Amino acid sequence: MHIPDGILPLGLSLGGWAIAAGLTALSLNRIAAQPDPRAGLPRAAMMTAAFFAASLIHIPVPPSSVHLVLPGLMGAMLGWYALPAILIGLAFQAVMFGHGGLTTLGVNAVILGLPALAAFGLTRALGHLTQRAAAAIVGFATGAGAVLLAVALFAAILLAGLPAHLDAGAERAAITALALAHLPLALAEGMVVVAVLGFLRRTSPEMIVAR
Amino acid sequence: MSERDIVLSSIAKPLIAALLLAGPAAAHGAFVDMGTTEAVAIQARYDTGALMAGAQVSVFAPDNPALPWLTGMTDADGRFVFVPDDRAGQWAVQVRQAGHGAMGYVTVGTDGAAITVTASRTGLSWAQRLLMAASVVWGCIGTALYFRRLRPAEPA
Repeated sequence: MHIPDGILPLGLSLGGWAIAAGLTALSLNRIAAQPDPRAGLPRAAMMTAAFFAASLIHIPVPPSSVHLVLPGLMGAMLGWYALPAILIGLAFQAVMFGHGGLTTLGVNAVILGLPALAAFGLTRALGHLTQRAAAAIVGFATGAGAVLLAVALFAAILLAGLPAHLDAGAERAAITALALAHLPLALAEGMVVVAVLGFLRRTSPEMIVAR
Repeated sequence: MSERDIVLSSIAKPLIAALLLAGPAAAHGAFVDMGTTEAVAIQARYDTGALMAGAQVSVFAPDNPALPWLTGMTDADGRFVFVPDDRAGQWAVQVRQAGHGAMGYVTVGTDGAAITVTASRTGLSWAQRLLMAASVVWGCIGTALYFRRLRPAEPA
C-alpha cells in the first residue's frame, strides 16, 4: 500500500502533502502540549523501526503477496507520535527501497496516518476495558479496522487519480484483487495488536496508556 | 510485330482488363515483407521477484510525455515488446498494476537505429536489503537509547 512516484496526478500528490502536513502539525502540537514531550520518543523510535522493517516482511496471499503495514499498532501504541513516526518510516522506505516515493510521501502518510489516528481514537475511547475478552475485541478491531481503512483510502485515491489512457476496467479489477488480498492481512494485524497489547497489559500496563 | 505477338496480345489484353475490373476481390495473392528491426523488450517484476502479469504498459514518445504513444498489457511472464519509431530522444515506459509500478527509459539515437537502455532500476540483492534495513533499524534503536538516557537528567 505504498503508491510510487509517477502514478498519481500532481493535484493528488500536492493535496496529500498538504493534508499530511496539517496532520503532522496537529500531532506535533499535541505532543508539545504534553508534560514531557520527550517521554514518548524512545517508544516512537522503536515503533518506527518496527514499522519500517515490517513492510519488508512479505506474506504470500495467492496469487500475489502482501506485507505488514501496522497502522493500527502504530496508532494504539504511539498516540499522537504515530503520524511523525509513520512519516519518517515511509521516507526511509521510499529512499532506501523505492517503496512508495517522495512525491507521494504525503499521500502515503495520509493513507496510513489517518487509520493510525483512528486506531488511537478507538484505543483512547475503549482501551480502558480490563476484561480480557473485551480488550481482545477492541484490540482486534483496532488492528483489523486500521488495515481495512487504509486499503479503502488507497483504492479510493487510486481510482480518483486514474488517467484516461489506462484501461479502467482492468485497473479496477487489479485494485479489487489487491484489496481482497489484504483481508487476511487485516486479520493478521488484528491479532498482532491483540498479542502486543495483551503482552504489555501483563508485563507493564503503564506502557499502554494512550495519550 | 510478328503474328505470334499479336495473337498473344489479343488474348492477354481482355484477360488483364477482366482482372482489373474484378478489383481487390480477385487479389488472392499475398506477400509478406519481412525484415529485422530493433525492439525494446521489457520484463516487469515486483520487488518480491513476482512477475507483473497483465499489468498495463504505457509508452511515452520523447515529444509527448503526457499522452502515451502506445498502450498495452504485459503477458503472463510480465513481458512486453515494442518498436519505437525514429523519433530521437528519451522514451519512457511505465508499467503499473493496482497502484504499483515503475518507469523505465530508453534512448533512441538521432540516426533512428541505435536504442540504448538509459535507466532501468534493478532489484537489490537479499543481503543488500538486509544490510540497509539493519542500518535504519539500528539508527532507530540508537535514537531510542539516546532519548532514554537523556530522560533521567531532565529537571523534574
